[in-house]
Amino acid sequence: MKETVIHLDNVWKTYKMGEFEVNALRGLNLEVKKGELLAIMGPSGSGKSTAVNMVGALDMPTRGKILLEGHDISKLSESDLAQIRGKKIGFIFQQFNLINTLTALENIALPMVFQNIVKEERLQRAKYLLEMVGLSDRMHHKPTELSGGQQQRVAIARALSNNPEVVLADEPTGNLDSKTGETVISFLQNLNRKEGKTIILVTHDANVAHHADRIEFLKDGAIVKSKKNMKGG
Amino acid sequence: MNLELIKYALLNVRKRKLRSGLTVLSILIGVTAIYALVSFGVGLQNYVDVIAEQAGVDKIFLQARGIGAPGTDPNFFISKDDVEFVEKINGVQEISGLYMKTSEVKKDRQIKFVFGTGIDPDKWEFIEESFTAGVEKGRALKKGDIDKAVLGYNYQLENKIFRKPVSLGEKLEINGRKFEVVGFFEEIGNPQDDSNIYFTYGAIEDMFPEVKDKFGWAMVKANRNTEPRALAESIQEKLRKHKGQEEGKEDFFVQTFEDALQTFTNIITVLNGVLVLIALISVIVAAVNTTNTMYTAVLERTKEIGVMKAVGARNSSILHIYVVESGIVGLIGGIMGVLLGFAISSIGGAIAVQAGFSFLKPAFPIWLTSGSILFAFTVGAISGVLPAIRASKLRPVDALRYE
Repeated sequence: MKETVIHLDNVWKTYKMGEFEVNALRGLNLEVKKGELLAIMGPSGSGKSTAVNMVGALDMPTRGKILLEGHDISKLSESDLAQIRGKKIGFIFQQFNLINTLTALENIALPMVFQNIVKEERLQRAKYLLEMVGLSDRMHHKPTELSGGQQQRVAIARALSNNPEVVLADEPTGNLDSKTGETVISFLQNLNRKEGKTIILVTHDANVAHHADRIEFLKDGAIVKSKKNMKGG
Repeated sequence: MNLELIKYALLNVRKRKLRSGLTVLSILIGVTAIYALVSFGVGLQNYVDVIAEQAGVDKIFLQARGIGAPGTDPNFFISKDDVEFVEKINGVQEISGLYMKTSEVKKDRQIKFVFGTGIDPDKWEFIEESFTAGVEKGRALKKGDIDKAVLGYNYQLENKIFRKPVSLGEKLEINGRKFEVVGFFEEIGNPQDDSNIYFTYGAIEDMFPEVKDKFGWAMVKANRNTEPRALAESIQEKLRKHKGQEEGKEDFFVQTFEDALQTFTNIITVLNGVLVLIALISVIVAAVNTTNTMYTAVLERTKEIGVMKAVGARNSSILHIYVVESGIVGLIGGIMGVLLGFAISSIGGAIAVQAGFSFLKPAFPIWLTSGSILFAFTVGAISGVLPAIRASKLRPVDALRYE
């Protein structure tokens, strides 16, 4: 039995919209095992984004617990959460979200800056990751000088910079053409298989989701269906 | 504070060149004004300190109460009797009365009106000590020099008082009489003193018999063991009684050199202070402008802040980035302001010296330069604090969603 990395235990998230209360999550239960490639699917408004924010420690639940490697993080301060995010979770966003003033290399090294890793080590690791995503020749390019696919590869390298346990990819192919999207997905798959990274893939695209070991379907703030994918891509 | 974060802040300043430039400009204006004004203030204070040191603080002025420069109002004067009376007061080491008369000087058909000072040739050394200037060229006046004069520094210069410089031995027509120039005074530092003409008592009394024994003012030196301020009070009181005048209605006044200098310094300091205050207002406006710019920057980079928080930036790191960023803007404004202020003061000072106001020489002590730069950095950094707090408190989930 593989150990659980993330456990969402009866998580509720309620937003106040004027006089109304909207429950974005209604007692969500989700367990993510170490080394798993999990896809979360659901239509818009299903609570997908809110669930991702919980899993990524970007937001706190109104009720319920979030356990990261067995520790409850739902009561931590924002600064402590930032430290945990930086160390344990790598984010990949639909819109890449690279910092335009920084070069590819500096973008990748940025999460290490916040973990106070020394400069030589930062550069060495950032260069290694750039090589891994096949962009060594774009080291000193700014994001605006890179194609969408290249930007997403830089974003993947950035997500790996602190060697996190979990990589959280929120619609990583949403802004890419299908061919580039495939490359990115196979990249994530490789990370999962060869490096043993736990990958959580949030998507509304069934073609993307079918690469996962397991698919969780979300609707109205709760899991409505679970599907094991024996083929795994 | 991580060096990388400083570098990142610097990159942001550089990226928004126009906006950063305008913010820098607003800070620069205030710092330039403050730096230039204070440099003149300090220069003047230095000048006054030197004068005070050279002339000594043991000098006391005894002056007739009148309108305008001493000696110009014929109804008020210090009489020879007053001088002789004061000379006997306990604590007075030396006293010398000085005549002051407006004089007409002619050279090559050019006519100028200047102050003529009548000096007791026997007290020449005492006068030089009091004026903190001596004869630079030629010789001092001697008893019996009825048709000889010593001129102020500026007469030696071309196009200053006359088109052509006056030379030693030259004969000038002063008040209708011929005078031989036997010496020139050193530069005193203001155009009025440097255009003075010095005569012996005899010469003045000969030209203006009506002022005989009626001095414009007198210079007193206190004994080594006498406190000048106390002596000034004692002179005031005794001379009043001697002249049978009521307190507060004297036709003369007594002031120590130090107090006179202090009065002068105070006026200049207040004037300078008012100007610095106005400059400070412009710095406050610049600070508000910087705060506004930083709020815009935070708004513009909300998503970026969200990304940084997602990849592990603590609230304090974000706070540092924005405070440093606006501090850098202040720092640049400060450095440029100091450079510009230095240029303006130097040029202004050179012009003032050219015009004969050599006491208006700016000074640039290291504390002023470093202080101005530090001040600008601090103003910049403080202006960035509120926007930085807002940036640091953004919730990552909201910031990431911001478009």
